[in-house]
Amino acid sequence: MYRLTEEGKRYLRDGLPETNLANFLKAPLPIKEAREKIKNFNIALLWAKKNNWVKIEKGKLILLKEPTKTAAQEGLEMVSRAEELGDEILNLLLKRKLIEKETGIVTEAKKMIGKEITNLTPELIKTGLWKRVRLKPYNVTAKGIKIYPGKRQPYNHFLFLVRRKLVELGFREMTGPMIESEFWNFDALYQAQDHPSRDWAQTYTLKHPKHGKLPKPRIVSQVKATHENGWKTGSTGWGYKWDPKKASQLMPRAHGTACSARQLAKGVEIPGKYFAIKRCFRPDVIDATHGVEFNQVEGIVIDPSLTFKNLLGILKQFAIEFTGTKKVKFSSGYFPFTEPSAELYVKHPKMGWIESGGAGIFRPELTEPLGIDIPVIAWGLGIDRLAMIKLDIKDIRELFSKNLKWLREMPVI
Amino acid sequence: MPYMQTRISKRLCDNMPTIEVNYEDLLSLVGKHIPLDELREKAILYAKGEIEAVDGVNLKIDIKDTNRPDLWSAEGIAREIAGRYGKPGLPEYRVGKSNIVVNVDPKVNKIRPLIVCAVVRNLKINDDILSQMIQLQEKISLTFGRNRKEVAIGVYDMRRIKPPVKYTTVKPNGIKFVPLEFKQKMTPREILKKHPKGKEFRHLLEGCPEYPILIDSAGEVLSLPPIINSNYTGKVTRKTRDVFVECTGFDFRFLVPALNAIVSPLADRGGRLESVENIYPGKKMVTPDLRPKKTRVHIDYMNRLSGLNLKIRDVCRLLEKARYKAKPKGKVVDLLYPAYRQDIMHERDVVEDVLISYGYDKIEPIVPRLATIGKQSEIEAFSESAADMMIGLGNQEILSYTLTSKKNLFDRMNLPESPVVEIENIISSNWCVFRNSLLPGVLEFLSRNKNREYPQRIFEIGDIILLDEREETKTRDVRKLAFVLSNTTIGYEEVSSMLDALLSNLGLKYSLKQSNHPSFIKGRAASIIVSGKEIGVIGEIHPLVLSRWNLEKPVAGFELNLQQIFEKLKK
Repeated sequence: MYRLTEEGKRYLRDGLPETNLANFLKAPLPIKEAREKIKNFNIALLWAKKNNWVKIEKGKLILLKEPTKTAAQEGLEMVSRAEELGDEILNLLLKRKLIEKETGIVTEAKKMIGKEITNLTPELIKTGLWKRVRLKPYNVTAKGIKIYPGKRQPYNHFLFLVRRKLVELGFREMTGPMIESEFWNFDALYQAQDHPSRDWAQTYTLKHPKHGKLPKPRIVSQVKATHENGWKTGSTGWGYKWDPKKASQLMPRAHGTACSARQLAKGVEIPGKYFAIKRCFRPDVIDATHGVEFNQVEGIVIDPSLTFKNLLGILKQFAIEFTGTKKVKFSSGYFPFTEPSAELYVKHPKMGWIESGGAGIFRPELTEPLGIDIPVIAWGLGIDRLAMIKLDIKDIRELFSKNLKWLREMPVI
Repeated sequence: MPYMQTRISKRLCDNMPTIEVNYEDLLSLVGKHIPLDELREKAILYAKGEIEAVDGVNLKIDIKDTNRPDLWSAEGIAREIAGRYGKPGLPEYRVGKSNIVVNVDPKVNKIRPLIVCAVVRNLKINDDILSQMIQLQEKISLTFGRNRKEVAIGVYDMRRIKPPVKYTTVKPNGIKFVPLEFKQKMTPREILKKHPKGKEFRHLLEGCPEYPILIDSAGEVLSLPPIINSNYTGKVTRKTRDVFVECTGFDFRFLVPALNAIVSPLADRGGRLESVENIYPGKKMVTPDLRPKKTRVHIDYMNRLSGLNLKIRDVCRLLEKARYKAKPKGKVVDLLYPAYRQDIMHERDVVEDVLISYGYDKIEPIVPRLATIGKQSEIEAFSESAADMMIGLGNQEILSYTLTSKKNLFDRMNLPESPVVEIENIISSNWCVFRNSLLPGVLEFLSRNKNREYPQRIFEIGDIILLDEREETKTRDVRKLAFVLSNTTIGYEEVSSMLDALLSNLGLKYSLKQSNHPSFIKGRAASIIVSGKEIGVIGEIHPLVLSRWNLEKPVAGFELNLQQIFEKLKK
């Protein structure tokens, strides 16, 4: 089997060059001029002369007779219709490189002509033979085989979106270690070593390692003085003997506020907005609402101009940004290290008022020993709760799901 | 902040007291009818409360302040509400003299050295008073008293006590009395062994050669603090008219507020307070002392912090509602406040009381307009890129706990035990150490999903904790990435290609060097080397490890130190 070469296809479409030349010659024409007007002039002249259609006289081309349909023309048309050719014309076209032998695959493709086929092949597309086959219809309503894409863990993805949102809101991410000293977990937050307020939550203690190092002596002595007698903060202090040994005890971080305290001591930009998304640990009885390990999202806002109105404003902004609702209400709250404090409730269309976060202005007994004498608003979000609502989870343990099926099937939100 | 964790999820304050109150009793204490909706939406907020549940007339109320034991009773809540509903101003408490003496024997010094007492007479005890008294006692000793360690409270029928009372110690077998709710006489040793309260609280007396005892002049035992009262003197019923109250512990800073918080509600109920002389060697202490305490607030400070523009008379009016006595003096307000409050340490604390009286719902929230630039931490941003790459390569991310067990870290991984960060107060053997590798977590995940479709290709990015003497916290968090692939048949080159795709796309040049790692099959493990440093390990998991995780299909994978990679690329 043979098929047209690119040149053959062109001649079939545009006509053979010799025919074009002969058709063009109405009156004698200088060769130079004809060369400019006719494509493939040399080939055209060669074959026009062979066909006795033209002659050259004094540098001019003269038409001898009107061109007729040639065997070459006939041959090209036959090949394009995939018809068999006689030997003579076959050799002529091969010699003129207007046709070539087809490969086996194309031959195979030609066998498909007139049949109903399943697979559309590159050969059918290239040869145009797709026009002469019938493509079998598929059952397009059938579902394909299940495939599982690579995906983020849904809760981790949720935390990522929270992180991105906070960055958009102008917050800078803080860092801090998972194993903390009691100093940063409690003492720097003005929770007295012997006072019940230190027990506001159950905390883990460590068997190993036991003690860490305390920060710079200046900070330690200011925290100590504030606990003992209020230092120069205007507070009464707790009125007891502060023990550096207890403060150096190590423990798994119980709340992200430890990071905020570290950041304040490290130095902050003013105005400043900071956040942390941190793993925290508490020895709770494990049930549907309590895990020993959970994430907290919290942070601080620092500026001399801040007031309680701004505190409520920050909480309201979070409600809008993280839950999409403007229906909020506030109540008083208590955090051992803030005063005044407020809690945020947002209205969920189905679940009613949900406690979603809280904030307070850090006590001066916390900020001043760390070197900050302007208002610092500390805030936190009930992020696990929001994640559970968003992911439609009833049991907090499922946030760290070990169920591959659930992970595979959970839509990316 | 921790609290943010809401009702059904993690609470902020795990020790937040929940108290039960009779709605009608509460209203009669307030002296005004308040519809339930209004109580829930408005009035209860004045006492930092939230109504958790309503069952007929029984209300369950969370009090969101662990430092205000004065609020943990119907009487305490009623005081705050009444101040805003027509009865403002300082509640006054008169304390008469009972002339009753409690002698403190120096023998208690090393065991439980301090006691403070009070007498309340002419009580008309009904079920509400009784249940509130018992509940308040329990909540104070549990939360404020650190489960009786710092504060243990006893309430007695005064008519059965013959003063003076002595606070002393006895040998464990040195005395016999009938403990509360029991019939037969027991020695303190027997009580600690057999009585439910003895078993619950005996750790507080552990190692003491003698036990504290409170005894009257007739030799009648009042109680064995901090364990149990006597059934004879220490039983308060509806017939009791006069009560004797005591708190024992180690520090007057907790004992005095606890006593005040217990007796002031009884005075609110019409009881007559009388003082007791606590005689210590060389020192006399008269309790309860309910004289109001003094503080002051500056109007400028108030307005600057609140963002409100209050006039001095507004501040006075709002503080009177919060049960202060307020006297303006120039730009300062001199204040008297009730002795049962022990939470006021700074002007700041007064500001909040003003705001609560003002009503949070009337304060306009204003978003601060601050020009700041947001920024993600660098290691988080880098972890995101690595995670994106792993996802692009078709792998499912998982998330597991940082806390795990030594069995998972060492035994199941066929590794010799090495030092890790260990928890002391373990609550479950599943969570007693911090992970020092991510591989056990991803293998555990596979072991839970044996009936799910294979191949399973999962990864985790997270922090592990390493011990490091040089660090301030003697530990270091290290960001890692672990990947495992499991299928009926797997090839090492599959994970090797995964590693190559990840590292080359992070722009990292690395080499692999054959190594021996007990968790992997011999001859099928390699160290991943970057600039001559090992930054991870790759290989096929040893069948011994698979069997210890109950895994039945081959697993290959790698673990990388993302922290090191990040620091290397940063240079």
